[in-house]
Amino acid sequence: MKVVALYKWARDPEAANVRAGGVVDWGNAKMVAGDDDHAVLEVAKALAEGGELVGLTLGDGDAAWALARGVEVAYSVPDAPFLADNAATAAIMAAAVKHIGGADVVVVGDAEQHPGVPAALAGLLGWPALLGVTSATAEGERLTAVRRVGDTIQTVWVDAPAVLSVAATGEEAKPPGMMQMLQARKKPVTQVSLAELGVDPKEGVASRGTRLPDVTGAKMLEGSPAQVAADLVAALRSDGVL
Amino acid sequence: MSAAAWVIATDEKYLVSLVEAGAALGSPPTVLVVGSPELAQAAVDAGAGQVAWIEPAAGTPAEAYTAAAVSLVSQAGPRLLLSSSAAAARTLLGAAAAALGAAVVTAAIKVELGGDTLVVHCNRLGGSVVEAFESTGPVAAVCQGYDAPPPGTAGASPEPAQAGEPGAFGIVEEQPAPGGGGLTEAERVVGFGRGVKVRADMALIEELAQAMDAAVGCTMPVADDYKWMSQYIGRSGLSIAPKLYLAVGIQGSPQHTEGIRDAKVVAAINSDPEAPIFRRATYGIVADLYEVLPELLTALKN
Ligand SMILES: Cc1cc2nc3c(=O)[nH]c(=O)nc-3n(C[C@H](O)[C@H](O)[C@H](O)COP(=O)(O)OP(=O)(O)OC[C@H]3O[C@@H](n4cnc5c(N)ncnc54)[C@H](O)[C@@H]3O)c2cc1C
Repeated sequence: MKVVALYKWARDPEAANVRAGGVVDWGNAKMVAGDDDHAVLEVAKALAEGGELVGLTLGDGDAAWALARGVEVAYSVPDAPFLADNAATAAIMAAAVKHIGGADVVVVGDAEQHPGVPAALAGLLGWPALLGVTSATAEGERLTAVRRVGDTIQTVWVDAPAVLSVAATGEEAKPPGMMQMLQARKKPVTQVSLAELGVDPKEGVASRGTRLPDVTGAKMLEGSPAQVAADLVAALRSDGVL
Repeated sequence: MSAAAWVIATDEKYLVSLVEAGAALGSPPTVLVVGSPELAQAAVDAGAGQVAWIEPAAGTPAEAYTAAAVSLVSQAGPRLLLSSSAAAARTLLGAAAAALGAAVVTAAIKVELGGDTLVVHCNRLGGSVVEAFESTGPVAAVCQGYDAPPPGTAGASPEPAQAGEPGAFGIVEEQPAPGGGGLTEAERVVGFGRGVKVRADMALIEELAQAMDAAVGCTMPVADDYKWMSQYIGRSGLSIAPKLYLAVGIQGSPQHTEGIRDAKVVAAINSDPEAPIFRRATYGIVADLYEVLPELLTALKN
């Protein structure tokens, strides 16, 4: 089975500085591994066993991150910009997947801040999708995945080719060591430009800018510990929640 | 392209708020339901203009009907598509968006139509800011959604739609997720994080919870790293909807606050005035929890 693992395709949210009036200064934020990307690699590796695992990143992020985590062949689209329109991001991904000869499965993070990307990607590829999975196995063409749906844990299958989006359940248990990272840096990365992909990244929406939310923050209670405690209890009682 | 909105629903969560959002285009939206008869009825009760309904065969997930959903949406050619962030609904939304050539935005909280320009307001950076996006073309929006009561004026009855041949999907099994030990049903929850320094101090939290008639919950590191509790609240843990959530020594990461989205009142005690939990809280106290908790116990007894 040929598996494409997408990683490092969104800007580092930690790099964002919210200024007065709600203007966001992104500095020169880079594409970084998202919260879910380590789990993407885990699932992709399990599915690719005995087959081929290809890593794909957008922007100029360091591909060694994935090469040290089991990716054998690495591609990047260095001039891919970060886009707010999830469909436009997905269009770059879909074109790149086709450019590298397609795949049986594309695995991507179920990114909390960009939840439209995996859905739009499946739509643009015209493939079925299972979103928000935590693990998956393959048997022939059949992919079986586990995910949480409301109050149930669902085991569900779909036939390849398909898109799986993975939600991490925590931080990475065992990040690769220094040796693995050093070796990974020596491996080649094939760069593909947007022009080669034939993609002109046009967004279907234009930003009118950012602002602070209407309700910002809490009513702050001040005074001595005894004072704030009494005020809080009084407030909660008058709200009828205590 | 018609000036209408469509809502794609595969479960009931936030459905009323999605219908409300879609009505901003001038008339109640059509709700495409891929789910049970109860869900179709819920769409009616939510005030849908029309309900197009596909009932999945037993053991088949909603995603298996992507082709049918896409064909219904394409025929109507709506200007705006809305869904919650539920996995199945999002999958259908993404496929329909691709067919319409629509832009896809997320964490949408409000929609406006001014002349021919559609404006979608979206939470960004976990709700720290709101970004407005405009478009003169079709837009698909994954909505934040909120709990709202049905409006009381029911819409039209469901119209069964052509389900077509389902895609190659199947449900192997469904197990109830590990129970929340009463947390998910509790009216009041005291949640604590790494601001609580040692395990013995959990006694303080428990005493407080007892005085408030509340259940006790915690953040992921408290459960996973410290192993002080077996369950935690958040995106990868439990989602709770208490009337009151008291967050003690909790930073308020987006992963944690995702799990308390439906809490009505949130009070937070944290020694760091910049802690993000204060952005989600109704009431905030900047103080050492070890100084405030004993006073809270006293105040509760009065
Ligand atoms: C993929 C992924 C999924 C995750 N899912 C979840 C999830 O579902 N649920 C979850 O909770 N987390 C989750 N996390 C972890 C999350 O990102 C945070 O790291 C975590 O919630 C922080 O926990 P905390 O607030 O207890 O600890 P900390 O971040 O250490 O914060 C402790 C807080 O206590 C305050 N404090 C310290 N001393 C005192 C004192 N004496 N008095 C008052 N305040 C004090 C500090 O100011 C600080 O704000 C996830 C992470 C990842 C990567």
